[in-house]
Amino acid sequence: MSKKITRHDFEPKIMAFVCKWCTYSGADLAGTSRMDYSPNVRMVRLPCSGRIDPQFLIKAFEQGVDGVIVSGCHPGDCHYNEGNYYARRRNLAFRELLDFHGIDLARLEFSWISAAEAIKWTKVIDVFTDKIRELGQHREYADMTDPYAHYLVKEAA
Amino acid sequence: MIEAIRTQAHNLLENKEIDVVIGYGNGSDPTRTTPVFIRKPEEVNRLIFDPRCINSLPVYLNKRQGYPKKGWKRVGIIGKGCDIRAITQLIAENQLSRDEVYIFGVPCDGVVSHFSKWDGSLRDDNRATKCSECDVHIPNDCDFFPGERPEVDRSGPYKVSAPQVLNLFNLKTDKRFKFWEKEFERCFKCYACREVCPHCSCNICITDRTTPNWIDQAPHTKGVFGWHLTRALHLVGRCTGCGECTRACPVDIQVDLFNQRMKDVVQGSFGYKSGYSETEKPPLITYMTDDSENFIQ
Repeated sequence: MSKKITRHDFEPKIMAFVCKWCTYSGADLAGTSRMDYSPNVRMVRLPCSGRIDPQFLIKAFEQGVDGVIVSGCHPGDCHYNEGNYYARRRNLAFRELLDFHGIDLARLEFSWISAAEAIKWTKVIDVFTDKIRELGQHREYADMTDPYAHYLVKEAA
Repeated sequence: MIEAIRTQAHNLLENKEIDVVIGYGNGSDPTRTTPVFIRKPEEVNRLIFDPRCINSLPVYLNKRQGYPKKGWKRVGIIGKGCDIRAITQLIAENQLSRDEVYIFGVPCDGVVSHFSKWDGSLRDDNRATKCSECDVHIPNDCDFFPGERPEVDRSGPYKVSAPQVLNLFNLKTDKRFKFWEKEFERCFKCYACREVCPHCSCNICITDRTTPNWIDQAPHTKGVFGWHLTRALHLVGRCTGCGECTRACPVDIQVDLFNQRMKDVVQGSFGYKSGYSETEKPPLITYMTDDSENFIQ
């Protein structure tokens, strides 16, 4: 049952914005079924993938996250009938925008995972974690320094 | 041309059919023009139109700016083709109803971009870049047009007018990030790009909200990136390409490159051209079950 533990130099910080009806339940199933997946992911549960404002993803990248996963129900399965269709359009546009901005699209993943697809969830997390581990830390935002920092009082800076 | 518009505006103001004419007048500086609000019929001679009239007036039809004022039943507005596109988009977004505005369309050959190169005639080196791919030299929708309005075919796809978009797009991803990092270093967050935008119509902008603080207010690169990404994101499928954001930028950041790129994406993915239809829904508030999902696992 237990996997061999391997140590890595770099543990990526991954954030998952998930829909509570499908992906969160899928992850729950993975947990209750005692499946192993990499512990690098931090989940944020939201009512629907249509609720996931790209603002969250911008903020996540700004706060120094190395990779972001967005996940929701399969098309046609949405609890609110159409939320994931809107999410699909919005994320298509947002990916193009991030790409034009110069952020590597490998760091942003979108997937459909239903409540029954615990195996898919573990697979998506494991593959994505390995990919981010290879890419390394998201340096673009981390290297940014505040040019006004020396005007601040020491404690505030 | 402007004579016909003045006569029409005079008649309408006298008959109280419209309450105000928003147009262009001479500015304090001989090279510049300024927006004027004409409320009395005898003042219509202040109206002018020539390539110096660069401002986009539909921003005065924006509810956030407090326009149209209370008591104004119908607003007359002088519009170039690109401005009328913005009005059409405002109507499509239910920000405005068509019978609230009376549009005076003007034929336009382009506007000046650099006043230092302006000597009275419009050439390729002093014309704004947005004018090079313009298909609304003759406005696509207006209530009054001086003379005969010829029909122009506008069914062609959207063309990116700034060559920088393609140049940037061909760069590697990290080079692109470096480019924006260098550009945005100059941004000190005056929000002029927001203030001139006819489509930024939120009563309180998300960047002005501090609880929760989604966008860092400090003008260092992180906050600036957050702001420009958000701004471009909120204009996806709504921006009509008037180029006012770039013109208003005091430090000459080409912020409309984002918008132009996104217009291209929207055209390619959803087949939508903003500003040409009053009834078609903007792309992000609607969906098709067979939208492309090649990026989804």
